[in-house]
Amino acid sequence: MSLLTTNPTATDLVAARAINLTKIYGRGDTEVRALDGIDVEFHQGQFTAIMGPSGSGKSTLMHCLAGLDRITSGSIVIGGTDLTALNERRLTLLRRDRIGFVFQAFNLVPTLTALENITLPMDLAGTKPDPAWLDTVIDTVGLRDRMTHRPSELSGGQQQRVAVARALAGRPELIFADEPTGNLDSTTGAEILSFMRRAVREMEQTIIMVTHDPVAASYADRVVFLVDGTIVDDLVDPTADSVLDAMKRLGN
Amino acid sequence: MLKLTFRNLAANKARFVMTTFAVVLGVGFVVASFVLSDGLRSSFGDLSDEITVGTDLQVRPVSDFGEPPPLDQDLVDRIASLDGIEVVAGFVSADDNAMQPVKPDGTTISSAGPPQLTFSWVADQGLGSFALVEGTAPDEPREFAMDIDGAEANGFVVGGSYDLVTPIGVVKDATLTATTRFGSDNSTLGAVLMHVSLGEAQRLFGSPGTVDEIGIRLAPDADATAVAAAISGIIPDSGVEIVDQATLNSEQKADFNQGINIIGNVLLGFAIVSLFVSIFIIYNTFSIVLGQRVREMGLLRALGADSRQIRRTVLGEALLVGLFASLIGLIAGVGIARGLIALFEALGASLPDAPTIVALRTVILALVLGVGVTVVSSLVPARAAAGIAPIAALRDGARLGSQSSRRRSLTGAALIGVGLMFGVYGLANPPGTTLALVAVLGLAASLVFVGVSLASHMLARPVARVLGWPIAAGMGTAGRLARENASRNPRRTATTGAALMIGLSLVSTVLIIGESVKSRLGDLLETSVQADYLIVDDSEAGVTSDLAAELAATGQFSAVTGFRYDEARLSGTVSEVVAADLTSLGRLLSLDVRSGAIPSDEAGDVVLLHMDQADELGVVVGDVVPAEFATGTTIDLTVAAIFADDTVIGSPIVPNAVFDSAGSADVHQWVAAALADGMDPDLAQPLIDQIQQRYPQVSIDSAAEFQARFEASIDSALAVVNALLALAVVIALIGIANTLALSVHERTRELGLLRAVGMTRRQVRRMVRWEAALVAMFGAMLGVALGVVFGWGAVTALPVNFADTVTIPIRRITVLVVVAAGAGLLAAWLPARRAGRLDVLKAISHT
Repeated sequence: MSLLTTNPTATDLVAARAINLTKIYGRGDTEVRALDGIDVEFHQGQFTAIMGPSGSGKSTLMHCLAGLDRITSGSIVIGGTDLTALNERRLTLLRRDRIGFVFQAFNLVPTLTALENITLPMDLAGTKPDPAWLDTVIDTVGLRDRMTHRPSELSGGQQQRVAVARALAGRPELIFADEPTGNLDSTTGAEILSFMRRAVREMEQTIIMVTHDPVAASYADRVVFLVDGTIVDDLVDPTADSVLDAMKRLGN
Repeated sequence: MLKLTFRNLAANKARFVMTTFAVVLGVGFVVASFVLSDGLRSSFGDLSDEITVGTDLQVRPVSDFGEPPPLDQDLVDRIASLDGIEVVAGFVSADDNAMQPVKPDGTTISSAGPPQLTFSWVADQGLGSFALVEGTAPDEPREFAMDIDGAEANGFVVGGSYDLVTPIGVVKDATLTATTRFGSDNSTLGAVLMHVSLGEAQRLFGSPGTVDEIGIRLAPDADATAVAAAISGIIPDSGVEIVDQATLNSEQKADFNQGINIIGNVLLGFAIVSLFVSIFIIYNTFSIVLGQRVREMGLLRALGADSRQIRRTVLGEALLVGLFASLIGLIAGVGIARGLIALFEALGASLPDAPTIVALRTVILALVLGVGVTVVSSLVPARAAAGIAPIAALRDGARLGSQSSRRRSLTGAALIGVGLMFGVYGLANPPGTTLALVAVLGLAASLVFVGVSLASHMLARPVARVLGWPIAAGMGTAGRLARENASRNPRRTATTGAALMIGLSLVSTVLIIGESVKSRLGDLLETSVQADYLIVDDSEAGVTSDLAAELAATGQFSAVTGFRYDEARLSGTVSEVVAADLTSLGRLLSLDVRSGAIPSDEAGDVVLLHMDQADELGVVVGDVVPAEFATGTTIDLTVAAIFADDTVIGSPIVPNAVFDSAGSADVHQWVAAALADGMDPDLAQPLIDQIQQRYPQVSIDSAAEFQARFEASIDSALAVVNALLALAVVIALIGIANTLALSVHERTRELGLLRAVGMTRRQVRRMVRWEAALVAMFGAMLGVALGVVFGWGAVTALPVNFADTVTIPIRRITVLVVVAAGAGLLAAWLPARRAGRLDVLKAISHT
């Protein structure tokens, strides 16, 4: 285990782990090593941000960890399950039952109401949501009176809150968020981020968030920096300033 | 901008292939109908030339109405003695299927197919058009010849001995003396052509000493006009005419063309239905594809393109697609025509070698129809695209503007109203020709179809919600999303469903008419027919009166009569007249006599009139009506009774003696019989079987059997029509597949999201397929609803004897809707597969 991945909570349970993870696009002359031998662990009950410049591989890392993309070599373990050993169907079921997602935009199915969107993964699985937990989640996002509305009747911020609620509703082992505030104004963005932080602190959820915004990253417990497909820095308890400093260091 | 048109088409190849397919099929069938009928017309034209070329003049009986009496055979010899004549011969020909040879396996050749024709043999090949292939010409009684293909197909060999079913009963052990060839390549269209000697033909089909026509070939130096004048000097002044070869040839051609035109027009009709269905599919494709290109159009507008240029780009695309599809359709049409000829051949109709004629008219029509349909369908989408504002380039989720929902519904309702009015008017005041009636009703139906497709978007959401309820309940989230997707874009669902609606409404109209006719027949047999047995000659050639006499002679029947049909002029109007045994008649049919009474058969020259005809003639019981027959005989008939029930016979009914003295043929078209009181039908059966054996060409049915057979024949006619309409349904299903494929493309991001949060591929496929099933069911139900309206109109317009109350075959129609839903599931197979295979990551980031 490299120095970079050790941190004060290393003894805690590991939610996701990448071992010598490599992802190569294309072949021959056009070959691009998007991820180049990454070893990293993400711990349960932590809010981790993955940062890096455009093309650093941060989104690819997230997609691979979430089972949305196939890797070239190495392995990924989510809560004891080796993703490389899973077929397409098993991967889908893993995403459905054990992972939550929040995307930058287009998070909700337009034909379903807010409530139906929140329970969608469980409905797909044919399982019933835990009513008490669902109540808690809905109250936390504060949209109880909007539950019968369709996405087109919600503002951008409300849509993202519904998306976060969906990610939480199934009590997944891990939630991935891909630039969740990228399309929001700063006030609404801050609201979503503090909400995500509360989910981690108070509801013991695990979130991995990809972002390029130092302010967003400052809400996390830890920031992992990627450049050219390798992890170059790892900050614990970041602030916007310490993240900016780290970015400046990487820029040089 | 033209460059852009080409680029767009190149970029959206796949999307347009299926649109093209709809046009190709429609144009293909139009072209096929013309190529086929042009080819057949040309080859049958050659055939008529061949048939008539050896006959310079023909002498034949003629009358204004009815069947004229045959010519005296002596006339042949008298003409032969004139100057300038090389060959002269008298002909006797039998009605279709009058003679049916019994095959080695003991059965007769089916009379449902091409006819079996029998002629008297004429040695001269120029006059007779036949040549011997093997053997010698039939000369004696119980000898016959058959065309070489007919003999080979049915297992007859020269020298063999076979039974012949004829109007006078079964001729046992007749010898096949020869095989023959008709014209140069024996193009019989599947008909079986037979010959017997002139004497035998007179014995079996005519009367001794008479001929049906006389063929004449002139000596090489003779003057046709002079010979014709000489002939007219020795023939009777009236009832006989002389025609020349040109007249014969054009009559023969007209005769052939009648059949060819029917085939051509039927094909054309179905082709037009297909093209009409294509309009909906093309409209939908253009709307959806343009909807996906709103930002691109907005960008063009922002860069300075004016709305006219945008509209021209879209119409240019339509023009190119239409042109391309029409050209493919042209080629496909030639292929379809060849395929149809091969199909006819496979079914046993030997056609003359038809050349493939692609007339300029066919090419122009294919292009005009194909391009026209495509461009017209894209007019509305093009106008909407032209209305896109430049700002659309910058806005996420900008949509194609369109007519307001309210205006659309009102336009639809107005079209439905006008269409129905046209239809009601057309049915109430039917125009003179069938073609005009079909045109009026076709226009009415088209207006209703377009109207319903416009207005039905209001129904799409509620209907999809109701129909989708069990799917949503039974299929979980995939089912619920299928329901939501089917109702999220009501216009798209309505237009896609409308394409299917057209085919299904026509199919269910046909089913309803068929069912109503069937149920009417059931009622009719119950109320108007008291006969226990109905004996019908399937060949329609009629059967000798001996059959009825033999039945009566058994003493097991209380009443037996045959029915003879002829025409006569009653007080100036030509009318069908029926002769029957009046003594038996009252016990076999319920005529509902209103005044007078049915007299006994010995009552002399009497007539029974239907009350409508009595009113027209202005006569009452006791009045005298003069009846002039085709033979020239006039008989004064006294009105003995006036009846009201015209379900079986509405024509004047006379005793047999009247026909006998008028010289009408003694042939029964059908026979009815009632069992003697207390006679057990089971005991009568051996008797029936015995008679059946002697007259294999008739069916002796109980009322129930008759009904079953009649219903079966209606069903097979319905099956043929519905098979042709299946083409329109197939095109509609292609439309559903096309719309679904475009919808899947449009919803790529949404599908990516669903897959990311855990929808399995199988659930995705199921969602897409059930959406298609819902759209199909929506279209099918609209179609069935319209079919009921159309069926009701048609049944109301039909003469009351055919159908009087609308009977809806609920079971069949339910099956139809279920099958349509199933076909929808199947149609969505490919789009569903594609949706299932979407790359999740690419789908999520799709714009």
